[in-house]
Amino acid sequence: MNIDEAEFLSTMSGGFRPTKDWASCTGKGVTVAIIDSGIDTSHPELADRVVASVEARSDGKRVVFDPSDAGDSAGHGTACAGIISRIAPDAKFSSIKVLGAGGLGDGYAFLGGLEYAIKERYKVINLSLGTTKPQFFSPLHDLLDRAYQASCIVVAAANNLPQPSFPSVFSSSLISVIKSEMTDPMKFGFHFGEVIELTAPGVNVRAPWPGGGHRSLTGNSFACPHIAGIIALLLEKDPNLTPFHVKSALYSIASSNSQ
Amino acid sequence: MPQPDNGDFSAKLRRLVETVDVANVLTEPLSSSIKSLLTVSAAQIDCDEASVLIRDGDGGDLRFLIAIGRVADQLLNLRVPAGKGIAGFVLSSGQPMAIADAGEDETFYAEVDKETGYSTQTILATPLRHGDDVIGVLEYINRRGEPPFAPFTPEEMDRAATFAGAIASLVNAYQSAKLFRDLGENILSADDPDAVSIRAWLTNVRDSAEHREMMDLAVLIREVASRGDAERNLAREILESVIRFSEKGEATTFLG
Repeated sequence: MNIDEAEFLSTMSGGFRPTKDWASCTGKGVTVAIIDSGIDTSHPELADRVVASVEARSDGKRVVFDPSDAGDSAGHGTACAGIISRIAPDAKFSSIKVLGAGGLGDGYAFLGGLEYAIKERYKVINLSLGTTKPQFFSPLHDLLDRAYQASCIVVAAANNLPQPSFPSVFSSSLISVIKSEMTDPMKFGFHFGEVIELTAPGVNVRAPWPGGGHRSLTGNSFACPHIAGIIALLLEKDPNLTPFHVKSALYSIASSNSQ
Repeated sequence: MPQPDNGDFSAKLRRLVETVDVANVLTEPLSSSIKSLLTVSAAQIDCDEASVLIRDGDGGDLRFLIAIGRVADQLLNLRVPAGKGIAGFVLSSGQPMAIADAGEDETFYAEVDKETGYSTQTILATPLRHGDDVIGVLEYINRRGEPPFAPFTPEEMDRAATFAGAIASLVNAYQSAKLFRDLGENILSADDPDAVSIRAWLTNVRDSAEHREMMDLAVLIREVASRGDAERNLAREILESVIRFSEKGEATTFLG
């Protein structure tokens, strides 16, 4: 059944609408979990911002997480943290490293990282990753339902390649994001009815990089943290927002952006 | 050059030559095809420097399989440690990525540039997928022209992904053929007293006219086999007849 967009909007009248002062928030009191390649905590833009850092390790058939000071050898996680930091300069980060050396990077480490973040009840979880492997469809679906029930807001990047990846296509239980060439992070878009609903800057995004420098980066991975940053602002204003509230708020803001 | 002075030696040698030659017939055109397709794709992405990196072992390391451009030969000796750099990330995440200002700070590409004398500024890296697995990474470095190079665009990222599908198929076929070749070479175990002399013989024979004739023969067999079941069965019958004939006398010139 197709849902009429105007009808959907009319039902929003009794739902959550953000007041305008959300945009002046800084993400204070909000910790964003970043499931990625780690974060370079020595980068000047990220100093004292990472409050927890763990790394996946295979223990037989289980994936366990140990405290880690391994930093980020790939750069991706550092860039994501830096993008969020610019939008929410007072937000803190929890680095959950699932990509890197030592066999990290398989779907089980990724799944384990998401489960860890949900167990820790991080309110915002940035997932600039995904998998196309069908065997992870069902476990990820279950985890995303658990996240929704635990009021964890998962923001996932869409696949950059022309095939569905999980969990970004689970649009009912998370917030999925695709890149656009826009440059103002506050002017993000919301495409109601699309599998990937949110659009945010993701082309030549200037972001921190391990070693203290910066890079210009292109990919859906870098659109995703823009939305995670916006959510950190909304959560500072109202820490009790649920995933449903947040999605409604994003829709409402994006509708204003397009007028 | 050792002579086939007993049946065991001859049998080993025959198995080895058959396996290695057929595998070479398979791998050589494949690596050449990968290079050709890489060159075509690079031109479509307005770039002269490109490379195909493949997974090396189970730990997530990468090695350069094919490269084109000014420092291609030097790249072929380099490896990318697991999880390091853009290529390492693309392998482990399965997601493409474009990056500008790559040589700006002291990370992996600065190390590669130090080795090669090249200056990496912009990178477009996309995964090579076979089925649900990422088997390698396709990389394009710097745009044509003079620096500073414009960053690679999202459209070029999409174009690279299209080429990556075809290149991944070739890489997968190459790796299968290489496994076959490695298996053939492992027929000679390290503790086999014949191994040293057979390997020495093999090294010599690869450059010989007889070897080239055998390669031609292998190509013909492959060509016939690809035409259908009837042709394949006929070729097998003929070859088996030749083997039976040769086994009856001393005129086994195949190994001499």
